[in-house]
Amino acid sequence: MQEIQYLGEHLWVGQIGHFAIILAFVSALLATFSFSKDTFSSSGHPSWKNLGRYSFYTHGVSVFVLIGLIFYAMYHQMYEYKYVFDHVSPDLPMKYILSAFWEGQEGSFMLWMFWHIVLGVILIRSNYKMESPVMLIVAICQVLLVTMILGWQIPWGDSVFKIGSNPTLMLRQTMEAPIFNNADYLSLIKGNGLNPLLQNYWMTIHPPTLFLGFAMTIFPFGFAFAGLIKNDHQSWLADAYKWSVFGAAILGIGILMGSFWAFEALSFGGYWNWDPVENASLVPWITLVAGLHTHLIAKHTGHGLRSTYFYYLISFVLILYSTFLTRSGVLGDSSVHSFTQMGLEWQLVILVSFFFLTGIGLWLFRYKNIPQPEKDENLYSREFWMFIGSLVLLFSGILITVSTSLPVYNTIMQYFNPTFEGRVINDPVAHYNKSQLWIGIFVSILASASIFLRYKAINWEFNRKKVVKKMLIFSAVSVLSTFLFAYFIPLYSWQFYIFTFAGFLATFTNIDFIIDIFRQKMKLAASGIAHLGFGLMLIGLITSGLHAHYVSTNPFVFRGMFEDADLEKYVQLIKGKPLMTKGYILTYESDTLIERERKYKIRFQKVDKDLNVTENFTLEPNAMYSNDMMKVAAFNPDTRHYLHKDIFCCVVALPLAMQDAVEAKKQEDSLRFETYKVQLGDSIKIENDIMIPKSISFRPKHQEYQKHEHDTGLSVLFDWVSASKDSTYSGETSVGLDGALLYKYPESIEDAGLRVRLEDDIMTTLFTGEEKLTYEDVTLKIGNSLMVDEYKISLTGFDKNVTHRHYTPKEGDIAISAQLEIVNTKTNNAVTANPIYIIQDNMPMSLKEYVGEEGLHLRFSNIDPQKEEFTFKIARDKRPDSFSFSMAVAKNVPRSDYVILEAKVFPAINLFWGGTILMMIGLLIGWYYKKFRKNPTPAIS
Amino acid sequence: MIKRPYIIAALLIAAGIFVFINSSKDVSSYANFNEAYGNRVKVVGTLSKDKPMEYDPENKPNEFSFVMKDDKNVEKKVVLQQPKPQDFEMSEQIVVTGTLKEDVFYADEILMKCPSKYKDEEIAVKSNSI
Repeated sequence: MQEIQYLGEHLWVGQIGHFAIILAFVSALLATFSFSKDTFSSSGHPSWKNLGRYSFYTHGVSVFVLIGLIFYAMYHQMYEYKYVFDHVSPDLPMKYILSAFWEGQEGSFMLWMFWHIVLGVILIRSNYKMESPVMLIVAICQVLLVTMILGWQIPWGDSVFKIGSNPTLMLRQTMEAPIFNNADYLSLIKGNGLNPLLQNYWMTIHPPTLFLGFAMTIFPFGFAFAGLIKNDHQSWLADAYKWSVFGAAILGIGILMGSFWAFEALSFGGYWNWDPVENASLVPWITLVAGLHTHLIAKHTGHGLRSTYFYYLISFVLILYSTFLTRSGVLGDSSVHSFTQMGLEWQLVILVSFFFLTGIGLWLFRYKNIPQPEKDENLYSREFWMFIGSLVLLFSGILITVSTSLPVYNTIMQYFNPTFEGRVINDPVAHYNKSQLWIGIFVSILASASIFLRYKAINWEFNRKKVVKKMLIFSAVSVLSTFLFAYFIPLYSWQFYIFTFAGFLATFTNIDFIIDIFRQKMKLAASGIAHLGFGLMLIGLITSGLHAHYVSTNPFVFRGMFEDADLEKYVQLIKGKPLMTKGYILTYESDTLIERERKYKIRFQKVDKDLNVTENFTLEPNAMYSNDMMKVAAFNPDTRHYLHKDIFCCVVALPLAMQDAVEAKKQEDSLRFETYKVQLGDSIKIENDIMIPKSISFRPKHQEYQKHEHDTGLSVLFDWVSASKDSTYSGETSVGLDGALLYKYPESIEDAGLRVRLEDDIMTTLFTGEEKLTYEDVTLKIGNSLMVDEYKISLTGFDKNVTHRHYTPKEGDIAISAQLEIVNTKTNNAVTANPIYIIQDNMPMSLKEYVGEEGLHLRFSNIDPQKEEFTFKIARDKRPDSFSFSMAVAKNVPRSDYVILEAKVFPAINLFWGGTILMMIGLLIGWYYKKFRKNPTPAIS
Repeated sequence: MIKRPYIIAALLIAAGIFVFINSSKDVSSYANFNEAYGNRVKVVGTLSKDKPMEYDPENKPNEFSFVMKDDKNVEKKVVLQQPKPQDFEMSEQIVVTGTLKEDVFYADEILMKCPSKYKDEEIAVKSNSI
């Protein structure tokens, strides 16, 4: 077959991109080799280290060039590239281009590599003693990450072994389709675009923050590796702390952003669902925080070094494991976060196993060499309880990981035994809450008690009385607070009492600690602030999690066979009809469609017992339509924030016809219209109801009618007396004429399940076509009037600014519209008409004016400038005195004017957010003082 | 005297065993309808597309019912206490969580497996809209 010369392709982008990938791969390999030479040689010659650095810089530049090229291709919508085709579309706003970039697996791998490079360069510039072994780990990781985008196909027997997925491949290289026989195929295709669910600013800020957090965790691993490989267990401790603490802060913020996104912009109706992917990113954070604590112990006392190594090594391995879970498809459809599967499973397994085996293997190998003081920690020392705390955190991590890994266990079992039935957790949220509740309690109590203790139990005998006294006082205050709290917010079970108590205890003791410390040294307050945040978070979890409740419950609905009242989570709101729900009157007021987003305006009126409105506001949840507008792709909530509570509101369902264009068509086709011949003033009996066509209007007010332009139109106003509903409805059904086309605008009376349509005959009866009209000439001077039959016609003036939808102005035109006043002397009805006279290209033309209510056709046919006389042509519709016309009626039409709504109150959710944010601030303060304040002083002792 | 770390380790292991025994009843394999009577279980199956689906949002916005066939080819009516999920008809596989009572499965949770939009490699052709 002859090679096709394709039009419009930009081949250079892919060629340079491909080269950049190869260069990034080779330079990362070279960096690995050089840094390992420097790590394992004892000569101390700087050339290997320098070569490593320059290879890493080269690698960095290649990856940056690759990222730049892909952005370039996305920005210019080069759909010849598969990655661009998959993630961009012509209607995608440019502000989402970043989101589109990391929506795909390849893009997010590149984002991850990007941060490794930025952080790696910072590390190199810091000139640490342990630079080479740390950078060796980073370089190895980069090698493995680049393989994910290599896109090599290696024939393996009959099948092809695929290494990575190359983002610079062209569409026609990845699939075969007849469209590629066309040399100009590019002009025919458009991209798939970004999933509408992801089109919000959270998708712009959450992934880069989370990936920065991911990238940070390689450094604790690297430093731990360095200490073990060099058998030097002291010198890395000082350098590594700020990396770990910053990593913990950023990773925590990344996770929180995800949680906030879920709460704020997704329809989950909560902020933490124990989703496998949420868990997978939470666990490394927990182990990293455990490591931070033992790291502090090690710095101050020499204890806990072995644990610190373990925590730092395992945190990064768990990050890689979370990557494996999200990207390998092993979670199936059980998680919202899964990427689409790409056949990278084995590469991901290698990535996780390599770092797991290297890290833990080395740790076991060196275990005996890691120094550990002979003497146990003193029972009254801070380090002992911090150590216990870190074990509790590890324990929490193990529990979550085991439960989260159930799908992995299933996959492995099914690999060996295909008939194995997979195991599932019946109620994940309850399952996790049950055990993690106790973790929260233990951590909280430890975080309260340990701050009164000192490293190495210095001055214990002296402080003992004071500490015991404080603990007793704060415990008593916390018990009191818990019961007071329970008076307002029911706690349901004794576990929650303890949980709340622990939250209060951590809150009070740490406030006390911060006040104490502020008098001494600000920087030492970091731990107090973080622990205070933890305590507040626990209380916030109780108020907003345990005590979240639905507003969207209709208390008057008959409860059938479901005992569980919680099942009534949603209400149906009909447009314009207020509904009394639990404490609120909800009204669906209106909806507006802007591009692909339909916004629903829902009014909330909080009422007290006497039905007085105490709060009044609107929320605007929306429905996002898919890129092709064929159906609703996502519902996004809206939330009203108060200091003491949040009110969350989300549409969960719409009438089928509103949700799906195919369904709408099906529904429309299934309607059975029955036609009735009627005259104005008739009462037509239709089953038990009566339809009364009352009058004809020539100015239809139908909403859809108003949106279009017509030559003329008319509507029939009618009443519908419904016997079953015992009420009368008024309606207006319209038709519009545009050229030879008749548009019908049926009236829907939703309450009666009714649709009424006019048939063609009313227009043909009342409107006479041009060919059957007989025109009469009327010549007028300005200011004059004349009688034609019963009409008095006056010419009152002219207008030279002529606009008409059938007239396109040209240079040199003459265009005038006349102002005619016409009075029907029989009825005294006065109307104005503006027929138009145009000379275009030396051709005179007239644009007709039609006065529907009088049935008059008017044309402006001639101007006599000498005599200042103007000639008009007038014709009248041949309307019969009495006539009948057809109205088509469909009954049992499904409603289309309602939403199914979920509305929920989250009391004191700000305690949760505030608490978690305080934890992160605490970590950042700790990092700030380590990073920017030299001359570290040992902690309070 | 036994060293303190061993005591702590022993305590933690004991706690761990306790938690796992305690949690083991949280976990089950997918059941079929025959095992669902009176127990809260997850059932996997497919939608019987020839049988009627009922959703009456005007009167019962929280109730959607359909007929599902489990992996033993047993068909039962399922009443889901939720509005009708989007793209329900397109689901290849359904997992419902709930209990069987009097030959009707009452479910409060549903997971659907839908064909991925990336699997069918069709090329969207520009529509010639006027």
